[in-house]
Amino acid sequence: MIELMNVRKVFNAGKPSEFSAVNGVSLHIPENKVTVLKGPSGSGKTTLLSIVGCMSRPSAGRVKLKEREITSLPERFLTDIRRSTFGFIFQQPNLIKGITVLENVMLPAYPLGEKRSHLKARAHRGLSELSLTGKAASKVEWLSGGEAQRVSIVRALINNPSIIIADEPTAHLDTKLSYRFMEIVEKFKAEGKTVIITSHDPLVYESKMIDKVVNLRDGKIEENPT
Amino acid sequence: MNVWIEKQRYIIDFTISSLMRRKVKNIGLLVLYTLIVFILASTMFFTYAIKREAAFILEGSPEIVVQNLVAGRHDLLPVSYLEEIKSIRGVANVESRLWGYFYDSLVGANYTLMTPPQNQDSHKNQGKTTVVENDNGDPHANHEAHALFEYEGALLESGTLIIGNGVARMRGIGKDDYMPFMAADGQIMNMKIVGKLSSVSELVSSDLILMSEADLRKLFGISPDKVTDAIVTVRNPSEIQTVAGKIKKRIHSARPIIRDEILRTYSSIFNWRGGMMIVIFSAAVLAFVIFAWDKASGLSAGERQEIGILKAVGWETGDVIQMKFWEGAIVSLSAFLGGVILAYIHVFFTGSAIFEPALEGWSNLYPNFTLTPFINAEQLTTLFFLTVIPYTVATIVPTWRAATIDPDSAMRHTGG
Ligand SMILES: Nc1ncnc2c1ncn2[C@@H]1O[C@H](COP(=O)(O)OP(=O)(O)OP(=O)(O)O)[C@@H](O)[C@H]1O
Ligand SMILES: [Mg+2]
Repeated sequence: MIELMNVRKVFNAGKPSEFSAVNGVSLHIPENKVTVLKGPSGSGKTTLLSIVGCMSRPSAGRVKLKEREITSLPERFLTDIRRSTFGFIFQQPNLIKGITVLENVMLPAYPLGEKRSHLKARAHRGLSELSLTGKAASKVEWLSGGEAQRVSIVRALINNPSIIIADEPTAHLDTKLSYRFMEIVEKFKAEGKTVIITSHDPLVYESKMIDKVVNLRDGKIEENPT
Repeated sequence: MNVWIEKQRYIIDFTISSLMRRKVKNIGLLVLYTLIVFILASTMFFTYAIKREAAFILEGSPEIVVQNLVAGRHDLLPVSYLEEIKSIRGVANVESRLWGYFYDSLVGANYTLMTPPQNQDSHKNQGKTTVVENDNGDPHANHEAHALFEYEGALLESGTLIIGNGVARMRGIGKDDYMPFMAADGQIMNMKIVGKLSSVSELVSSDLILMSEADLRKLFGISPDKVTDAIVTVRNPSEIQTVAGKIKKRIHSARPIIRDEILRTYSSIFNWRGGMMIVIFSAAVLAFVIFAWDKASGLSAGERQEIGILKAVGWETGDVIQMKFWEGAIVSLSAFLGGVILAYIHVFFTGSAIFEPALEGWSNLYPNFTLTPFINAEQLTTLFFLTVIPYTVATIVPTWRAATIDPDSAMRHTGG
């Protein structure tokens, strides 16, 4: 499904603050499987995910999505892929403040110009699945950390993506909600979706539905983690 | 197509809720912006309207006015001169005028008292031979000549008055009211108002009072063999200068004043006012440039992060720019409309109250006069290009910069 070939990411290249966050990662992410990226803080998990999710370009190396080279595609196509293929659950909820939960959830669908009543119905359905029905009209700044996280999950799913990327999805959730999240992941898998998760939460990476665990350290894949 | 419209609707909706959530900041912005448009529009409306009044006055003013000088000062003109002038070759018509100033101690203003033009037709004729530069937007430009003011319907006979709007406003009087005057011999003349003057230019008629010849002579104590001055119409406009010279030669005490001289006096007044206005105008433009520049360079961390989020969830750079375009357009269009409407009220209904200090001399000269409302497409277009366009561009440019960077780096480490 997704193929990374010797991918590198260097920040602030040429400056004294130059920092190499990902150092030659080659990785295969299988279709319709759950892959977990794990590793200490600062090991480059988020950076790698954003390359996979077409949110940033690698400094070197290549990325293939469904046999299609995407590293060299122009910005427009990347946005298109991002919108139609990926659902991104960020490490921080990254909701837009001042507007309602419902509007936040519908945001990724705006550029598609879909009929309003359809979109609204879909958004409400998504919210109810994560027990957020009562919060639809609330402003996002009133939400608790866990609620915000769940809203960002609903938002990631609004365009019905085939690949779901979740960066530390359980960081703000209690045990019960974390289990709830893993149930959702199981459901995705049953629907034939591909899931990529970063986590250092054992509840996630030791879960029985995980198909592949990748260990990162200092921007490299560790073959034999201790 | 439907999809495109629906998409614009979504984007506009989002823009509006964006604007609403930074209410204080955006309202402040809108107020400042409206204020600048207001000042720009006010100066523009004022200068245009004043120029138009000037053109209007000149259009109706006589080609030659003949005054009589005694000891170097303007004195009454003996009626016998009129025949003398009429006999000069090239003179088409001579008309006498009776007028004077009257100080009203009650309201502390000077009025111009006048007998009605003897013959409205001849009054019209005098304009026919002349070419006066006029604004294209002036609906009256097509008529070659016209009376400066009209008082249709009202019949002026002895003991009655027709008054200008300024007089009526100042004294709080109108038709059928009485207005007392103290005549030169100390007698009180109680005059009845039978009508009001209407005019395209209030500047012309504001302080004017028309009365019959007998009343005016009695009021000022002018003997029947004298008039105030004479206006001369010339057969061939190119001969004005020559005719004026002939008048001077024939009657040594006469001072012929030709229209070009009046024009020069007026334009020096108007240019001075215009100059003041240009100063105000440029100050406002400068303020706007600073304001737009500030806007252009200042995209707050919050706004950058938001753009990052929008891009991350699948908005294209173009979508983000469209959103900011709508934002700029909504703010600047409402400021534009608000500013223009306020300026219109300010200039044409409150007599440019805010510019009062700059127009001090003016308001003494013409107490309580209001400009005739006049705006045209050219003014509005100029204003539009000076404000709405640069502002909208200034909103888009920084967005374009932020929207082309990776969503990942736009969002990073800003919390959420
Ligand atoms: N835009 C950037 N400029 C400079 N350095 C960056 C940038 N983005 C990330 N980094 C650095 O790259 C390294 C990897 O960051 P990344 O966010 O991928 O770590 P992570 O594995 O997700 O950590 P965590 O588990 O804490 O989320 C970090 O040291 C970080 O400081
Ligand atoms: Mg991370």
